[in-house]
Amino acid sequence: MAGLELLSDQGYRLDGRKATELRKVQARMGVFAQADGSAYLEQGNTKALAVVYGPHEMRGSRGRTLHDRALINCQYSMATFSTAERKRRPHGDRKSTEMSLHLKQTFEAAVMTQLYPRSQIDIYVKILQSDGGNYSTCVNAATLAVIDAGIPMRDYVCACTVGFVDETPLADLCYAEESGGVSSLALALLPRGGQIALLQMDARLHQDHLETLIEAAMTACKGVSKVLDEVVRQHLQEGSVLTGE
Amino acid sequence: MIKTEKTLHLRSCRGRTVRVVREHYLRERVPCCSALCQADCDNGAKVLPGDLTHYVVPDAEVVADYLEILEFRELQGIVFTQTACQALQSKGRRYYNRLRSLVKDPRHDCVLFANEFQEYSYCPREKGETQDQWMTRCVYSAAVWYYNHLAGVMNIVMITEDQDAVARYSSLNSGVFVISVQEYLQSFWPDLKAAHELYSSISQVLQEKEGEDSEKEFTEHLPAEVLEAGIKSGRYIQGTLNVSKHRAQNEASIMTEGLSTKNADLSSGVLVFGGKNRNRAVHGDVVVVELLPKSEWRGKTTALSEGQADEKSEDEASRPMPTGRVVGVLQRNWRDYVVTFPTRDGTQSQSRNSQRILAIPWDRRIPKIRISTQQADALQDHRVVVRIDSWESTSLYPNGHSVRVLGRAGELETEVQTILMENCIHVPPFSDAQLREMPVNSPEKPWTVDSEQAGRRRDLRDTHLVFSIDPRGCEDVDDTLSVRRLAGGELLELGVHIADVTHFVAEGSLTDLEARTRATTYYLADRRYDMLPAVLSADLCSLLGGVDRYAMSVMWELDARTLAVNKVWFGRTLIRSSYQLHYELAQALLNGDPADVPELAELGSEEKDARLAELTQALELLTHVARHLRAQRDRGGALELEGVEVRAQLDEDRNITALVPRQPLEVHETVAECMIYANHWVARKIQETFPYQALLRRHPPPRQELFSQLVDTAEARGFTVDTRTNKALADSLDRAVDLEDPLVNRLLRMMATQAMSQAVYFSTGAQPQDQYYHYGLALDRYTHFTSPIRRYADIIVHRLLTAAIAVDAGAESKAPANNKEVEETAHHINNRNRAAQRAQNLSTALFQCLYFKEKDPQTDPRCVADAVVYAIRDNGVLVFVPEYGLKGPVYLRNREGQVAAPGPDGGCDWQSGSVRRHQDQITVSSAGGSATFRLFDHITVRISVHSTSCHADTLNLELLQNRPHHSAEAQQDGPGRGRGQLVQEVVRLAEEAQQREARPRLSREEREFSQSRTPNLYSLLEEVRELALMDPDRLAQLCMTTA
Repeated sequence: MAGLELLSDQGYRLDGRKATELRKVQARMGVFAQADGSAYLEQGNTKALAVVYGPHEMRGSRGRTLHDRALINCQYSMATFSTAERKRRPHGDRKSTEMSLHLKQTFEAAVMTQLYPRSQIDIYVKILQSDGGNYSTCVNAATLAVIDAGIPMRDYVCACTVGFVDETPLADLCYAEESGGVSSLALALLPRGGQIALLQMDARLHQDHLETLIEAAMTACKGVSKVLDEVVRQHLQEGSVLTGE
Repeated sequence: MIKTEKTLHLRSCRGRTVRVVREHYLRERVPCCSALCQADCDNGAKVLPGDLTHYVVPDAEVVADYLEILEFRELQGIVFTQTACQALQSKGRRYYNRLRSLVKDPRHDCVLFANEFQEYSYCPREKGETQDQWMTRCVYSAAVWYYNHLAGVMNIVMITEDQDAVARYSSLNSGVFVISVQEYLQSFWPDLKAAHELYSSISQVLQEKEGEDSEKEFTEHLPAEVLEAGIKSGRYIQGTLNVSKHRAQNEASIMTEGLSTKNADLSSGVLVFGGKNRNRAVHGDVVVVELLPKSEWRGKTTALSEGQADEKSEDEASRPMPTGRVVGVLQRNWRDYVVTFPTRDGTQSQSRNSQRILAIPWDRRIPKIRISTQQADALQDHRVVVRIDSWESTSLYPNGHSVRVLGRAGELETEVQTILMENCIHVPPFSDAQLREMPVNSPEKPWTVDSEQAGRRRDLRDTHLVFSIDPRGCEDVDDTLSVRRLAGGELLELGVHIADVTHFVAEGSLTDLEARTRATTYYLADRRYDMLPAVLSADLCSLLGGVDRYAMSVMWELDARTLAVNKVWFGRTLIRSSYQLHYELAQALLNGDPADVPELAELGSEEKDARLAELTQALELLTHVARHLRAQRDRGGALELEGVEVRAQLDEDRNITALVPRQPLEVHETVAECMIYANHWVARKIQETFPYQALLRRHPPPRQELFSQLVDTAEARGFTVDTRTNKALADSLDRAVDLEDPLVNRLLRMMATQAMSQAVYFSTGAQPQDQYYHYGLALDRYTHFTSPIRRYADIIVHRLLTAAIAVDAGAESKAPANNKEVEETAHHINNRNRAAQRAQNLSTALFQCLYFKEKDPQTDPRCVADAVVYAIRDNGVLVFVPEYGLKGPVYLRNREGQVAAPGPDGGCDWQSGSVRRHQDQITVSSAGGSATFRLFDHITVRISVHSTSCHADTLNLELLQNRPHHSAEAQQDGPGRGRGQLVQEVVRLAEEAQQREARPRLSREEREFSQSRTPNLYSLLEEVRELALMDPDRLAQLCMTTA
């Protein structure tokens, strides 16, 4: 009924951002020594941890082996303490299975899997704190982890959600906005070529607005990619200092 | 990318308290919206002017409680903080929306400052600090920021009702003053009396709020979630509450919209019977009802009740209809109400506290409103504007507070203001800022044609003979005509040139906004409130004779023989009207009668004859074309219905010398036909260019069942009326003429008018194309184009047409507004038009009452009149009094059960007896004999005024004799006395009375709305012009159905 006003007449959103502004993104790579690659990423108050193992030999059922490329195995989970109310989250509920599948599709499009036939790459992502845009945070964190693991990719995969309010696209929705009845769209992009790795939307939206919404999502993704690129460069610089090159 | 800081917010949600953490981004640059800004903030279009003495920053509590005071336009330089805005949001959506529209309105000097997103004005809430304290601190720090941001140039005043805050903050900063509302008003606005009154009335209400008794009078409303779920599941029904005018105490119905039409039972609405079931809903609210079990269903009452009878609602049969009770209110639609403070004579026993008064609203459908005031004695018998604040379940009546005093009940000025107020018509004088936008045309600085404009427009000054035909003495000439032969007589060129108002009124300008709000010029019986400032409406936009004017033209090239259209041209032009004719003169020229054209008075006789011949020829040609057009539409089935037909003749001193029945001159029809034709072609043009965003006017076919009264009534006289199509209806109405009694046909046409639905504006994107049809004019597309001076719809159409012409010239196809906006505007204009019509009718009724109030009904022969029966009811008949154009009920049985028994001489007196109603007659029988009243019988009635102090006076009709009335005077006058004369006479009497008593003229405030104070020649003519339906589309007489 008295829904929140998501975009004020002055053009401010609930948390003080303007329509096209992203939340603050902070990230660190190589947080765990034992995994092949790992990264921690905060996008506003949404915090995710991504860990990559591989490429390695097929484990478990060998029947799933692909002979021309590597199999990507994704697992997504949320910590019990990630939301405002503590909630037990059994492994493999519908939501996380779906999310895992989306991640898998996204990274199959980005990772050069044909370089590693008959092997497997595991990507595990955990949401430590959830405040909207879980999927995009996961993708961004996992990208950094894959890069940390040294697995070749076509490009960064950057993801962002956008919503549509009062004829205006809002970039990078927070939880309050997501739950405020906005028709939101999640987009994963390979920014350099502008190829879309995944596009997901399950709300009603007039066809005429779709184009502007995708346009806004792409701009937002490119913004994210700049931040990620900086993080990677920073990390490499630190690494090179350590190894003394 | 952007420098942002993150802070945490703790909030608790519904149910269990939950810690919610939200991000909060701060930035350095938040627009301050002040003209004094040194830091070039990215300010929008609306900025606070720099030449004020101070800016005022109200705190959250003040905004929530005293928003109405801040709405005064006199208060300038208000900075609303985001903190206050959010506090208001939690109070209710309605209040917040009001604030939003206030901030958007460029006429108000106020802005919104997003203080919580500003890095330096934001202060996080501290531990142990209450919400209120924190908000006050936030507002204070915003005020300080403003002072610093503007480099100390402007003093900032923060107003708060919190005395602690005043004490704490007032000495902290030199340029920022913290004071209370009362102090603020006293020191800065000592002259704004209305604000002071409003302040004391609101603070009174706030004090009263504490200490209510807890006895429940009504059941509580259900929470919103339950209502929504109930509506979805079909358990509850949503609709607008419509309280019956005649039995406001008990009867109300719910008009459901669309959603629940699947249930056939509910199509006629749901009855809500009694105050308990209505459960605090007020007329106009959107409510949710629950149906009662079928055993408790009941019907409406059909007998004529006390008060005015309304023809349509009385027809309902008394069979039980779905009955329900209100379980919740979705949306309050409270507006400002006019109430009357009752005379104090012990009737106020129900109020324990002498300061609480139950005031009686002018509108009978509104419940009494409890008002706390200390001026109760001073306000006795005064009409006062009030607003309802709340209606607790513990109280029988809603609580309200007074806003403004209109004046003593019964005075002309008060009553007129009441009518305006009740129809939500706000017509303050045009502000200086609006007038500053207007071009100047004074003797010292005459307005001239801009050479650049002249280059862009087609110049018709030398090539075309342009003339206007209007009522005598008209000042705002909207439309002019031209006609000429082309190509050696093979072709005709017909031109309609309309005043180019949009050239002067830019979209989005202050004048435009004001015109949009008004939407139309309001015509009351004795005055007129213009839509546009006088410099436009009576001068620069008026296509006066002999001066250069901008125009918007439509020109057709017709085949001279077949009159088929070859080519149409739309565009902006420059014209100079050669003749400003009036209807009688034009008709005289056509008839070949000797006529005196003022424009030719000074010429020599030879030249004069030549010019006269030229003009006459043009008129003849025009008439020829118009006849053809009319015939074309008649074949399609255009209707001609009944209107009032009186016209005033005036002498030089602006006195009425005679009232003549309007002679339906052919030239009226000629002009009207050309206008209809222009409207039609413009409608086609804009609809074709903008298929989804054009503003058109449609007239939906009437519902057949509404014709039943007409058909039945006609049958009583042996006529058959075929209502299947508009053509059949028009034909059968033409046939239904009683040679002995011309009134029969008039009444039938009146009934047909009543059955019509109203013509409305709409956006073409909102209706399927087959709904565009204009039933009355029998045209597939129609719009309003020809009167931009007094209708806002025409201004929109002009802009659309301009855009369409630009598209033709190769510009990008872009409509000025999208479908949604056009539809919203159309809705607004329709609403305003209805309000204008209601106000006009009410003011006419008011003047009728004032007229008869002066007369003694027992002795004055003018109070006795002839009346015609046009409908039969259970306990009386409805009659029409042609002499005064009145309609009303005549009771044959009074409340004591006595009947009006006819005596042997035809006179009537009240005796015991019985009344029997038949299909088309009603019989009264008593000891003295019996009498039967049939439809279309003539009877004699006495007119008296039934006055009440709280509501509008009504006229009472009383049966005198059951035979036609023939008085010497009536025969002399014939149908001569009409509304126009009533108005004149009442105004004269009112003024005489004022002079006699040597009372000072009505106070300024009462006057502030009126622009034309006395009925001058022009306003009267305008009024008569409206009444006489000379306006093009009204001549077609369709739009007049006022329910």
